[in-house]
Amino acid sequence: MSNPILRNSFRFLVLVLLQIFVFNRIYLGGYLNPYVYLMFILLLPFETPWWLLLISSFSIGLSVDTLSGSLGIHAAAATLAAFVRPLVIKLMFPKLDRTSHVVPGINFMGIPAFAVYVFIVVFIHHFFLFFLEVFRFSEIVPVLFRIGLSSLLSSALIILLEIIFKSYRKGV
Amino acid sequence: MRSLILFFWKHRFFFLFFILEAVSILLIVSNNSYQRSKFISASNGFSGNILSFYDNSISYFNLKNTNDLLVKENARLRNLLKTSYLKHDTLYHEINDSIYKQHYRYFEAKIISNSFQKRNNYLILNKGSRQGVYPEMGVVTQNGVIGVVHSVSDNFCSVISVLHSKSALDAKLIRTGYTGTITWNGKNYRIGQLENIPSHVDVKQGDTVVTSGYSSLYPEGVLVGMVTKVIKPKGEGFYKIDIRYSVDYNKVEYGYLIFNLLKDEEQKIKEEAEDE
Repeated sequence: MSNPILRNSFRFLVLVLLQIFVFNRIYLGGYLNPYVYLMFILLLPFETPWWLLLISSFSIGLSVDTLSGSLGIHAAAATLAAFVRPLVIKLMFPKLDRTSHVVPGINFMGIPAFAVYVFIVVFIHHFFLFFLEVFRFSEIVPVLFRIGLSSLLSSALIILLEIIFKSYRKGV
Repeated sequence: MRSLILFFWKHRFFFLFFILEAVSILLIVSNNSYQRSKFISASNGFSGNILSFYDNSISYFNLKNTNDLLVKENARLRNLLKTSYLKHDTLYHEINDSIYKQHYRYFEAKIISNSFQKRNNYLILNKGSRQGVYPEMGVVTQNGVIGVVHSVSDNFCSVISVLHSKSALDAKLIRTGYTGTITWNGKNYRIGQLENIPSHVDVKQGDTVVTSGYSSLYPEGVLVGMVTKVIKPKGEGFYKIDIRYSVDYNKVEYGYLIFNLLKDEEQKIKEEAEDE
């Protein structure tokens, strides 16, 4: 798994399946649904070309849509997440060298910075996603409540998964 | 022209983003045109098969629960058998088909995918056009109403749940007979809202709500829920009523699709009435 294309394709597949078969069936408090497939977008290498970033994010959104029957909603939100990712990275790490083969993650950023990075992108994604799903402003208070709690849950799960896989990579 | 191309090239990241978003929004809009849309991805063959594979492996764990429900259902149906009625007289009975014409026919379907925690919820059932399912059929369980068939593929169909922002169910209060509409505000999946009940009507906590039979989707008298909260807003002519659904949408496994055998006739007379 040293090839980054192979590694990311594998991650794409695993995260879609995890999302459909595990995380789509987790309902905390009746309506909190974590969206962990965002991890794919968050962990793409820094040197990923801009068009590949957008198109692969659109594809993972569309795959999740197709398998959960909510056509277009995840595709739109995932594309937005891919759009804001470079801006967030630029704001948080202004001196980043894009050709140095580092990948986003705890190894490079450390847990606090990684958590902030994850939460910002996840929150923007969830904000757009939930409003697309509801599509009306009259229910703004309960929707904002859902957005806040779900973002916290998704971010926590993504950080947890990253910690688990990081220690796994070190052990091998 | 050159500067136009340069402009597009300079903002190419933004334009690709814009195109992809436009495609997504187009998909959302074309998918949400409610009854007319024929294309819903979750009821197409590929993901339908994946979902039913998943459901096959997971339904094993719910066997006990399902058995309990089936036993109850059997008992209820057994009660309706002719043999469980005592014959009161020895007079000759005639069953005349022109008096009792069958209006609704039920057949069962397995729910292979279900959601209740979103704002707009759908279910996928393992019956499709090959089994005679068509859009706008009602779906119920033994406990009450589930929803309306939205789109149909060869072997699967998707159902718009009662828990949907566009769900509007014609219902009535059994005790007083007044009819209203049941909607869902998306806050709690066990609680629905009953609207259009005028505030001079006597409504109490615990009143039973059933389908009214006006919509030709469901027969009259299918259980919907029970009134839990009645609020009379000042200066308004209608109550705000909360009802508790009789079905726990978290736990549904099987449903019954309702064939309305007289649907065409009902629709024709409704259209004629609207044309007047």
